[in-house]
Amino acid sequence: MLNASFYIAWCSTKNRVRMRLRRLREPRYLIGAIAGIAYFYFAVFARAGRQGRRPGRGRSEDRGFDPGSAFQIAGTSLAGLFVLCAALLPWVLPTRSKLLEFSQAEREFLFTAPVSRRQLLLHRIVRSQVASIIASLFVGLFAAPIAGVGRLRLALGFWVLAVTINVYSCAVSLTRARFQSPVAAVRRVAWVPIGLLLACVAVVGSAIVRQLLQQPPASGADVFVQISRVTSAGLPSVVLWPFVAIVRPPFSGSVTTFFPALAGALVVLAVVATWMVTSDVTFDIVAGEGGDAQATEGRKAAVVPRATAIGWTLPLTGRAELALFWKGVMETLRAVNIKSWRVLPPILGVLIAVVGASFGIAGDQRMRGPSALLTALGGMVAGVATLLGPQMLRLDLRSDFLHLDLLKSWPLRAADVIRGEMAWPIAAVSGVAVSAILTAAAFSGAGLPNVPFAWRWSVAFAAVLAAPAMIAAQYTVHNAATILFPAWVQLGSQRARGIDAMGQRLILLAAVLVSLVLFALPGAIAAGVIWLILYRFAGAAVLVPMSVVFAAIVLTEVLAVTELLGPAYERIDVTSVERAE
Amino acid sequence: MSIAVQHFTRTYGTFTAVDDLSLQVTAGEIVGLIGPNGAGKTTTLRALAGILRPTSGTIAIGGHDIAADAIEAKRRLAFMPDEPHLFEYLTVDEHLRLTARLYAVPDFDARARALIDELELTGKERALPGELSRGMRQKVVIACGLVRDASVLLFDEPLTGLDPIGIRKMRATIVARGRAGAAILVSSHLLHLVEEICTRVVIMDRGKKVADGTVAELASRAEAAAGSNLEQIFLKVTGRE
Repeated sequence: MLNASFYIAWCSTKNRVRMRLRRLREPRYLIGAIAGIAYFYFAVFARAGRQGRRPGRGRSEDRGFDPGSAFQIAGTSLAGLFVLCAALLPWVLPTRSKLLEFSQAEREFLFTAPVSRRQLLLHRIVRSQVASIIASLFVGLFAAPIAGVGRLRLALGFWVLAVTINVYSCAVSLTRARFQSPVAAVRRVAWVPIGLLLACVAVVGSAIVRQLLQQPPASGADVFVQISRVTSAGLPSVVLWPFVAIVRPPFSGSVTTFFPALAGALVVLAVVATWMVTSDVTFDIVAGEGGDAQATEGRKAAVVPRATAIGWTLPLTGRAELALFWKGVMETLRAVNIKSWRVLPPILGVLIAVVGASFGIAGDQRMRGPSALLTALGGMVAGVATLLGPQMLRLDLRSDFLHLDLLKSWPLRAADVIRGEMAWPIAAVSGVAVSAILTAAAFSGAGLPNVPFAWRWSVAFAAVLAAPAMIAAQYTVHNAATILFPAWVQLGSQRARGIDAMGQRLILLAAVLVSLVLFALPGAIAAGVIWLILYRFAGAAVLVPMSVVFAAIVLTEVLAVTELLGPAYERIDVTSVERAE
Repeated sequence: MSIAVQHFTRTYGTFTAVDDLSLQVTAGEIVGLIGPNGAGKTTTLRALAGILRPTSGTIAIGGHDIAADAIEAKRRLAFMPDEPHLFEYLTVDEHLRLTARLYAVPDFDARARALIDELELTGKERALPGELSRGMRQKVVIACGLVRDASVLLFDEPLTGLDPIGIRKMRATIVARGRAGAAILVSSHLLHLVEEICTRVVIMDRGKKVADGTVAELASRAEAAAGSNLEQIFLKVTGRE
């Protein structure tokens, strides 16, 4: 079976690389690859080269950053203590190891084959190596302060660490599942690793407590010094050895220390791997009899759409844009339910924390109290909605490209389809932005008492007019990119992989930003002219006509661009749209 | 001529999917489009529906060029693809209503009611696609195609996923639409279906049209034995005997 696992891993990797190399014959991938490689070169290698050439700093690993020394300074025993604490987490947190998740193909080929559960576990270890090796190589590549063979040692050490973590997590999942077994003997075995781990915690913990009680620390730093001292000797150091051993190789500063460290880490890995494969008795409980536990849980956790009545029946006559607007409303309101709102409290919590912290840092007495908080929060939400909303709410052509066949078979003008697809997300994001602006304005009297009334409300009205125009402009740019470069667009939740796909995304991001600036420029110039002419007469109120003109120009551009995009939409080749690998 | 294809060629890079295809379908005709996998059938249907643009050649629907006069051409046709792609959050009834709005269908309520009965979708009007089986979703796609009075109907594997009763009803539906005067092009691998309902058959292989005519004409041209069925003719014509 191991041969088959290596064969699958080898062929899949080889064919994926071959496919990615072959697609470089297409300009869209070649250009993306060049951009991606250039990014890598400037972000990693050129930076490392510059650091190496700095006066007083050598490229040699022993003259630059020495991870071995850093590891020694931080305290090997402290690192072991950290790993011991981390090792407790999989027992406490109810997560299932990735090694117990099988793909559809694995389920259909391997679960129907004469293969034991133990062999399936070994297969998953083999299959996971490609990702672990790639991740480790990236760690080695990005470790800019280290050069040459040091990068390789770091990558190798990190690889063994990653494999050990994966296998340990899987072994814990399987052992925890023993408690669900109806057989008492199977349940009893689960206590062995738990007992060992708790014994380790007890030995180390009691030694630390004793030390801190005998010699109370003089400062915060002294706590670490004393913990490091007590865990570096005697029984605690013996108990912590396996936990130290697995983190030692990545931090070995030289070849002479690396290989002994690697040998120690491999011993720990071997023990953990043996524990994992001998825990196969609970395989079916964790992975599911057909290896489909993850898929079943995913289905249960997924938000199930319901055909709730929205109270808006689509009239049978009218503009096409309104029909597509209606479609967007239906899709959004049905996709949103109580489960969807789970993300809101953490987002609001972070926002409030950021605003609160910024108040604390500013220390400005004028900006205190709930009104000030609401003013700042409103401003921040409006800013986020205006600048990031069009990237986050993708209910336009970017998501409907999945239905491109259907859209293109409709007897509609292309410009109508484009505008109709954008109409609802523009309205939704604008609604959020305008509400936030008005909230900020309503509380600005108490929140910003030193700012005159005329300025506060002029700014608010100007923002209420300008924000929807900017949101519409952004949606136009994003949809224009989708139409003009359909091959580079991320469809739904899929994400193309590879350095060429990364390069494509970088180019597209730059193009979107430049286009947005060009979109806003004429309106900004016109608004600037109005400022120069009217400010001396109108004062703060000049902001309102400025934003009226700005919004009018931007919205005119939106109309013009959507019309111009029509022929490009008609020419879209649906076969060029990227499909997931 | 309801469907007029003249020297249609479609390439993908260096690969030619359809090569110099010409065919006509008149009102009331039901033409079967058959061929082995990769013959170019779906590419042809997608080009007829205005989804793909011809690399060269022309396609006219009801006298309107699908590239130059796309909106008028699309108004006259209904394309029912083999893979039912529906909007995840619109109900069956809302899909029909949206289609009716986009195609300006008069008397929508009566038509929708009749279609829902005809395609056995009764009771599923307020269901979302995620709540339907594949066969049911296929029926919704077909209902959306039939809710308007299209003069050209394009079916790509219309029976995929349907149960035996559904297959029987769908056969009757296609024949009824043909008798009512629609020009129908049906792509299918189910040769007995094609033989049973189609008035004419077009066989494609490797992007080219290799035969066109009634089953009797094809049998005669292929020098097939007397009483040969379409499967035997197909194998002979495509050289896969």
